[in-house]
Amino acid sequence: MKTLLIIPAYNEEENILRVCKEIDKKRPDIDYVVINDGSKDKTLEILEKNNINHINLIHNLGIGGAVQTGYKYAYENNYDIAIQYDGDGQHDVSYVEKIIEPVRKGEANMCIGTRYLDKSSSEFQSTFMRRLGKNIISFIIRICCHKKITDPTSGFRAVDKEIIELFAKKYPTDYPEPESTVDVLKRKYKVVEVPVSMREREGGKSSINIFKSIDYMIKVSLAILIDSIKKV
Amino acid sequence: MPIILRIVLIAITLVYILILIKAINKKNLQISFSVFWIVSGIILIVALAIPNLVEFVSHKLGFIAPSNMVFCLTIFIAFYLIFNMTIKLAEENKKNTAIIQELSILKKRVKKLEDEKEEKNGK
Repeated sequence: MKTLLIIPAYNEEENILRVCKEIDKKRPDIDYVVINDGSKDKTLEILEKNNINHINLIHNLGIGGAVQTGYKYAYENNYDIAIQYDGDGQHDVSYVEKIIEPVRKGEANMCIGTRYLDKSSSEFQSTFMRRLGKNIISFIIRICCHKKITDPTSGFRAVDKEIIELFAKKYPTDYPEPESTVDVLKRKYKVVEVPVSMREREGGKSSINIFKSIDYMIKVSLAILIDSIKKV
Repeated sequence: MPIILRIVLIAITLVYILILIKAINKKNLQISFSVFWIVSGIILIVALAIPNLVEFVSHKLGFIAPSNMVFCLTIFIAFYLIFNMTIKLAEENKKNTAIIQELSILKKRVKKLEDEKEEKNGK
């Protein structure tokens, strides 16, 4: 089965090469494409110099637009499975097999790699605030879609061909992960979660702070509520 | 309203319509967008040219003062316009995103094809 890793990267000059080398080493059978989302640092140079398969967005689109580009690429090139994979080194490529397994077997259309399912397996449990935020979003999705998604903001997920096509045509840009999950659930696709462990960022800086998280929480809750009453 | 003030206001409105026509001629303004502005200019002229029209209408509608009606109307129209603009902006944003994505993917494909061609010619 043709499998593609979609790696969005914005200002990841410190991480991107290591991330790609790790994939080359551990999973040489899997294709990947890096989406350079108008980085202002040397990300593009690094991608070109090392001959890494990449798409260079001519303007910054934000994570949603970048990831959708990956889905469009996957759709055009007839991939069977697409996996979202962060370019900052948080995700561990050895979990890719675990994530694609339910999709490959046809047990699910979408499989989310969840940080919180199994406490012992993850060294990265993140802060109290983050967990609280995740629980609130999870609660809202549960009310709207009658399905428990433990980690709706996880950016580590695998989808099958049908959903690649769906995402290529329509992908939310504001709060892509939770919103697209709601969309998929509303279309009665099957979503499962598998526990994964994630690492702390190894280089660069996370773009999230407390005010942004509160702002994010409020807007994301509203977006999910509005999405859930929209017709599919 | 004193006659002098009325004349001055009509003159200003005429200038406004002139500027409008110029903008349409220079193609700075799409015709479909400009209909609203032209109609607004005509309404202004009519309201100014016919004495006591605004007073009469606002009294009939039950406003205490004519100015209340004018302000009320203006604010409603402004809200409507801003709302419309927000929708337009969202639409344009969506198109823009799609264009950036498609163009970037195309650029990648073109580069790949060029590289392949070069390789072929090199051999």
